[in-house]
Amino acid sequence: MDFFRRLLNNPEDDFSEDNAEANANMDDKYKTAELSDEPNGNTQGENDEDLTPTAPLDDAVFTSHDDLDTLPQKPADFDERVPNRSIETGQLSELKDSDVYVPPEPPGVTRPLPQAPILQNHQGHLVYGQASDTGMVRNNNQDSVLSFFFGSDSVEDLPDFGMFIIADGMGGHSDGELASALTARLVLGDIFKSIYFPMLNDDDMDSDRPTITEALIEAIKMANIRVRDKVEDGGTTFTGAVVLGNQAYIGHVGDSRAYLIQQDGIEQLTRDHSVVQRLIELDQLTPEEAETHEQRNVLYRAVGQNEDVEVDILRRRLPPNAYILICSDGLWGMVSDDDMLNIVLNTDDPQEACDKLIALANTNGGTDNISVLILKLPSS
Amino acid sequence: MPETTQFGGNNNNSNDDGTLKPETILLARYQIEGQLGGGGQGAVYQARDLNFPEARRLVAIKEMHITASDPALRAEALKTFQREANILATLNHPAIPRIYDFFERDTRAYLVQEYINGRDLEAILHKTKTLPLKKIIEWAIDLCDVLHYLHSHEPEPIIFRDMKPANIMIDSLGKVRLIDFGIAKVFVKDLPQTMIGTEGYSAPEQYKGKANPASDIYSLGATLHHVITRKDPRLEPPFSFSERPLKDYNEEAKDGLQAVIGKALEFDISKRYNSLAEMKEDLESLRYGTQSRDIAMPASGGRSEGSNGSSSEGGDFFSDGDEIGGRVKPLWTFKTEDEIRSSPTVYKNVVLVGSYDSNMWAVNLETGDMIWKRNTDAGIASSPVVDDEMQQVLFGSEDYTYYAIDVRDGRMNWSHTTGDKIRSSGTLAHGHIFFGSDDGKLYALLANNGRLMWEFEVGVPIRSQPCATADRIIFGADDGEIIGLELNGQRKWSFRTRRSVMSSPVVDRDDVAYVGSMDGYLYAIDAGNGYSQWRFRTLGPIISSAALDNAENVYVGSGDGNLYCVNAQSGRERWKFDTGAPIISSPRIHEDVIYFGSTDGTFYALDAKKGKELWSFQAGGEITSTPYIAGNVILFGSLDRTLYALPLIGT
Repeated sequence: MDFFRRLLNNPEDDFSEDNAEANANMDDKYKTAELSDEPNGNTQGENDEDLTPTAPLDDAVFTSHDDLDTLPQKPADFDERVPNRSIETGQLSELKDSDVYVPPEPPGVTRPLPQAPILQNHQGHLVYGQASDTGMVRNNNQDSVLSFFFGSDSVEDLPDFGMFIIADGMGGHSDGELASALTARLVLGDIFKSIYFPMLNDDDMDSDRPTITEALIEAIKMANIRVRDKVEDGGTTFTGAVVLGNQAYIGHVGDSRAYLIQQDGIEQLTRDHSVVQRLIELDQLTPEEAETHEQRNVLYRAVGQNEDVEVDILRRRLPPNAYILICSDGLWGMVSDDDMLNIVLNTDDPQEACDKLIALANTNGGTDNISVLILKLPSS
Repeated sequence: MPETTQFGGNNNNSNDDGTLKPETILLARYQIEGQLGGGGQGAVYQARDLNFPEARRLVAIKEMHITASDPALRAEALKTFQREANILATLNHPAIPRIYDFFERDTRAYLVQEYINGRDLEAILHKTKTLPLKKIIEWAIDLCDVLHYLHSHEPEPIIFRDMKPANIMIDSLGKVRLIDFGIAKVFVKDLPQTMIGTEGYSAPEQYKGKANPASDIYSLGATLHHVITRKDPRLEPPFSFSERPLKDYNEEAKDGLQAVIGKALEFDISKRYNSLAEMKEDLESLRYGTQSRDIAMPASGGRSEGSNGSSSEGGDFFSDGDEIGGRVKPLWTFKTEDEIRSSPTVYKNVVLVGSYDSNMWAVNLETGDMIWKRNTDAGIASSPVVDDEMQQVLFGSEDYTYYAIDVRDGRMNWSHTTGDKIRSSGTLAHGHIFFGSDDGKLYALLANNGRLMWEFEVGVPIRSQPCATADRIIFGADDGEIIGLELNGQRKWSFRTRRSVMSSPVVDRDDVAYVGSMDGYLYAIDAGNGYSQWRFRTLGPIISSAALDNAENVYVGSGDGNLYCVNAQSGRERWKFDTGAPIISSPRIHEDVIYFGSTDGTFYALDAKKGKELWSFQAGGEITSTPYIAGNVILFGSLDRTLYALPLIGT
């Protein structure tokens, strides 16, 4: 027990050498703990390699939590100690048994071994889900969704890197979907070149390299030029988040949206570049009027429209246990913020949450293409 | 365009795209010669009137598709067209082309009108770089006149609805002619789907489906704004004209013209001109240089619409900056024996300031009387830090030594000698004092006894004050590196700028470090891993450390003489304020006011929101010291050897 508590509380530990062995042992115990038949009850080793975006890493954890929830909870007045970091050595202090609350065993209850500490380590990385649907009315899907995630556990301590994009194309024939697909792909490629590969190559960090913000703006501007060139009658929105360590950088053009979801609520991070939004901001229209306004779909900014495009950039520190939701207007136009919040918070697996949100948007009419990406941020 | 499929292929007078071929003759009278233009709803043709076989009389024929498939709607649309065509035919104004005829054929309606030999204003904007402002005002006056004529139409005013450069022809005589009355709109029925592009010139109320004479006033204002600034409103956020003052784009545009355009562009209809006759009158007075009556000037700051709240709080008090500035008198001053380059700090009632005279001075905050002074063996260029717990003041001297002095009596608690001059100010955190030395090392000493815990060698002088966060020590070095250490002194990351880093990093609650470099950039760096998020370019070296407010703004002074306000998320400039001399002093923010000194010898107080000067104070020498605010007192030193205590005005 002590060992796992330390594991949980000590981010300095890695899983090479001794720890890996200990983990393997633990996995054995885990398997005998009557949860081994759980379909997603992956072992530690498997999960480490599993970067498939849509694969939920932690079903087993959360299903087992249901059991634990019925157990005695920590008394409110219990003074749980957090280890201190020593300024001399940078090491965390050892915790004594008395520093951590151990719930008393109810007599006669068989319960699984405490997995949370082990699996907590998996949550050192974000997990995510994505989905896109044509909806109930349209014949084609002009949205493009693109995701990439890199998470490393090694002595090198590389930060997580990810890029998550939704682009909602518009234009006749198949120009809309071409514009959105091209934009998403080109931006990701540029970000690879300017941020991801230099990180892998351990290039020096200096002022000759573009900053993340510059790289993101430049990538979207370059995509704008290419779309104008290649897809004459097409344009697209673009809302994309670069995740690096615990910071997210969001580049935004148009009316797809990014939200930050936490236990206490949902916050829209991006600002729609639509005429009605502008009218709302200027107190010329109420949000209620906007919902039925005949020009609610008219954008004043899009990729592929003009020679140059102005890109909104925001940067957010990612709070532990929060969610980033990116979606096209086919979702936010059909599903209320409250419903998004409820589904995201009450669905353990972000992929399942994406599917539920799409289903709800279709239930509510599904008049447009629906796309959504949900990033579930780690607990530490 | 997809619309082409709407046309049945049974008419061999048409091109593949549905437009009429040259030589086609309509009504056995109008022979198509070519296409003048093509809008979304149909084309405009140049045609010859065959009723005048001897003369080459040209007409313009406007063609409109009737896209409604429902027969009843179609009939309704045609009726509306006839009604409006009848009205147009009765108009008589030199700027309105005459209507000769109208008729329907197949799925289209045609309007035959006077042919205007000229070019529309949009095309002129594309072809030219600038237009004489005098000419623009002339056109504006004529446009007011013709719109006023339409608005005065009886029994009902005619609303033009679609005022924009493309609908204004400049004929061969240089006169304006209105074309394309909004009649085509009768036939438009858009399906709701995401579209790009806005009308750009339309008034806010038109987006609610309302159009009235005031909407034409707005659109005329928008059109003139475009012509004067050459910033196309269709490429800008809607209704953002006030963010683009005329004079930023056209030096000739004076405040008077701005006032006229601004008034036409008010969101609130009641704040716009009551009529185009009024607007015309104002324009005429500008044209002839006679101010026939007062033109209401929009509030300063250019934002004429909507808000009135921003300038209210304290604004009245500061309304006359110069007068207040003239009235600022120091509460007291305190003269040391040499330049004060560093910043003062306060412990309870004691002001502490180091001077190049080698002394640390302790001065009474209320009276400005000396309490004690502590001599070192060389000048003091670093700022003192107060250790409340130990009741001591910590500072470094150019005598290589870092001192801990009892703040009550000036007696020494401990000292630590390094290998060279100490010019870096210290930072007290986690029970340690962190400071750099010219010997190339960063030191971590226990604050209570001066014991060396660790040192980190860079090899070049460290003048930057380290910044301590929960898990990082971040500082700059003379070789341009910005370094992030773990609390135990292990290097975590480094980021290299092109010149020395003398300024102190400042870290916000999102764990982003803001650091200026002598290379002129302000960098935003992830304090955790050293990745640069953005950089903001100034035109001079940055020595000043940045300051943060609660609204995600970063403020920093530059060697180019400006104090900049930059958005912390995007790294984009919000405003700048030019002092005319390099700024070395770091700004201090207190209740939405920015305080800082400049090497022009002036101490400034600026409105943090707008960057406007509230008051200023002239010291006897350059100010490199960062102000300290204690209660109602602002303290700063100057190279005139003096420590100044100014009253904090407005609180």
